[in-house]
Amino acid sequence: MPASVHEAFVTVGGAQIRLLKGGAGAPLLVLHGMEGSLGWRRYAQALADHFTVYLPSHPGFDGSERPVWLQSVFDLACFYTWFLETQGLEGVRVIGCALGGWLVAEIAATTRHAFSKMLLVDAAGIKPQAGEITDLFILSPAQIRDLTFYDASQVPEYAQLYGHDPSPAEREQAIQNREMAVRLTWKPYMHDPRLPPLLARVTAPTRIVWGRQDKIIPVECGTLYQQAIPGADLVVLEQCGHASHLEKPDEFVRVALDFLP
Amino acid sequence: MFLMRFTERAYVNYTVEDVKNSPNSAVRLTFSNSHFDPQLGADLYNAYLDEYEYCEEVGFDGLMLNEHHNTPTCMGATMNLEAAILARTTHKPKIVLLGNPLPIFDNPIRLAEELAEIDMISRGRLVSGFVRGTGVESLATNTNPLYNRERFEEAHDLILKTWTTPGPFRWEGTHYHFRVVNPFETPFQKPHPPVWIPGTGSPETLEWCAQHHYPFVFLETDPDATVDMKAIYTDTARTYGYEPGPEHFGYLVRIHVQDTDDYAKEVGKGYLVGNVGVGRLPMPPDYMFPVGYSGRDPKYLALRERIRSDPFRVGGLDAAGYEAILAANRMIIGSPDTVIRKLREVLARVRPGILAVWTNDGSISHKDTMRCLELMGQEVLPALREIGTELELTDPFQKTP
Repeated sequence: MPASVHEAFVTVGGAQIRLLKGGAGAPLLVLHGMEGSLGWRRYAQALADHFTVYLPSHPGFDGSERPVWLQSVFDLACFYTWFLETQGLEGVRVIGCALGGWLVAEIAATTRHAFSKMLLVDAAGIKPQAGEITDLFILSPAQIRDLTFYDASQVPEYAQLYGHDPSPAEREQAIQNREMAVRLTWKPYMHDPRLPPLLARVTAPTRIVWGRQDKIIPVECGTLYQQAIPGADLVVLEQCGHASHLEKPDEFVRVALDFLP
Repeated sequence: MFLMRFTERAYVNYTVEDVKNSPNSAVRLTFSNSHFDPQLGADLYNAYLDEYEYCEEVGFDGLMLNEHHNTPTCMGATMNLEAAILARTTHKPKIVLLGNPLPIFDNPIRLAEELAEIDMISRGRLVSGFVRGTGVESLATNTNPLYNRERFEEAHDLILKTWTTPGPFRWEGTHYHFRVVNPFETPFQKPHPPVWIPGTGSPETLEWCAQHHYPFVFLETDPDATVDMKAIYTDTARTYGYEPGPEHFGYLVRIHVQDTDDYAKEVGKGYLVGNVGVGRLPMPPDYMFPVGYSGRDPKYLALRERIRSDPFRVGGLDAAGYEAILAANRMIIGSPDTVIRKLREVLARVRPGILAVWTNDGSISHKDTMRCLELMGQEVLPALREIGTELELTDPFQKTP
C-alpha cells in the first residue's frame, strides 16, 4: 500500500468501520463486493491520481464491526446514508462493484441527494429475466474465484491476490466476509424486487459497466439496470468477467475517468 | 437397555457414474430427481414399512426414523407421515423420530400439531427427536444456515411451550411470530413426549442437551471420541446439578446379522452401495457445512479440540476399507454369535442406555433384511437384553433422564 494511503477506523452508528483513504481531489467513494475490499489495488491507485478515494469495508467485512440490527442490504443502505453524513460525503461520486453496486442502487433509490454520479460495476440487485445469478453459496471459494474472471492470466494482480496460502487470520476473515454476504443476500437471493421500479426516481448521472463474459451476474442485468435508471449508459467490456476493476484495471479506469470527472 | 431398529430407507436404483456426472459429483442436494422412479418408490416405501411392522413382531422396543431432503440416500423426506402410519399399524414399540430438522420449518406450530397427532394415534408411543439438519436440509429448503442454531433453539422453545402451556398465547420471537398459539390438539404424553437428540457431537449441542436433560444419541461416532463427547455432556450436567447415566446416552451403529459370518459379510457390503458413501464419493463441504452453519465460538473450538479426531470420518465412514471398518467395530456384521460378542465390547466401552440398530441399507435386499430381523429377534435381542442388565445400561424408560 503506498505511503499516501491511510487506514483508519471511523465510528458510524456506534460501529467502528475500517476505511482506506488516499489520493487528492474531489472525494470518490468505492463500495466493494462480497469478497471484501481486497485492499488498495491498482485501480484504486489509478483513481487516486484524480480523486480522494474512500474505500470503506462494509460492516461485518474485513474487521469492520456490524451493528446487531444490520441484517439486510436495505439495512446496509441505511447505514451508509449515516456514513455519508458523518464523513461529510453527501453528494459524492460513487463506484459500486457487484454487491457494492446493489448497495449504491439501493441508496440512490431512497436517498436522492446521496450521490452526484454513480458507476455500477457488474452489480447485483436486479433479478435477471433470462439467466440466473450464480448460487455462490453452494460453491467453494476456489470455484467462485474461477468463475470470477474470464481469463485469470490477464489479471495483473492475480499473484498478489491469490498467489499465497492464506494465513489462519486471513482464512478466518474470508469466512466472516462470506457469512456477512449470506446474512445480507440469502433471500431473495442477491436481488431486491422493489429495486427496478424505485430506480425510476434516480436523477444522478449513471454509468453501468459490465464484463461481457460475467459468469456470476449475467450481462442482461446491465441492460435491466440501464432500463431502470433514467438516462444511464451501459459500457460492456469484451473478454472480461465479473470483476473488470481487477481483471482489466487500466481499461476499467479509462471508462471510469471518461465518466466521473 | 432400549433397543430400536433403524434404516435410512435408501433409494438404490442409480449408479456411481450417475453421481459422478452430477453437479459437484454430489449424491445429495443437486443429484437430479430424474433418476427417481415412483413405481419403484412405491415398492420401496411399502417394503420399508413392512420391515418396521415386522420389527414389532421380533421384539424391538423402538422404531427409529430419520429425515433428509433432496437425496436418494434417505427416502424419509417427510418422516412424520411414515410415523403416522406406524402409529396406526403397530401397537407396542415406541416411534422414535431422530429427528425433525427444526430450523427448516417456518411454522413450528404445525410440527407441534403433527407430532401431537402421532402421539395420540399411537396412544403415547412417540419419542420426538429434534435436529439441526445437515447443511443440505438448509439449502434444500432455502433456510439461511447462518440462523440454523438460533432457529433450532427458538423452534424448540416454541414447540415445548405449545405442548405444555395452555393457550392461547402470543409468540413474538426473533425468527418466529404467532399472534394466537392455541392448537386444539395436544400430545397424549404429559407433560410432553420424550425429547432425544441425535448427532455426531457438536459441543454446543452436547451442552444444550445436558442443560435440558435430553438423551444424546451418537450417530456412528468413533468409540474413543464418543467417550470424550460424553465427558462434555457430563461436565455440563454437573453444573446443572445432576450426574448423567446410561439413560442420557444412545449409540447408533450398523449391525447386520445372517446365519453365517461369511454370508453376513457378503451381504453387509451392501451398506457401502447406494447409501451415505455411494460411489464412495465424499459430499462437497459447502453442501454439508454451508457458510454460517458451523459455530466458531472460541470456547467451542477448544472443546472440539478435546474431541479426538475420527480416523474414519475423513471422506466419510464409507470411504474407509470394509475390512478396516469391521475390524474397528464401526460396522458389526456376522453370525448371531459374532455380532453379540462384538457388541458386548462396544457396549462396555460406550455404555449407552439406548442402542440404535441400523440393520440394513444400500443394496441389502428386503429378503436378507427380513432374515436379519428374524435372527435379531431369535438370538441377538435377547442376548443384548442380558448384556444390558449385566452392564447396568439403564434406559430412559427405566429411569427418567
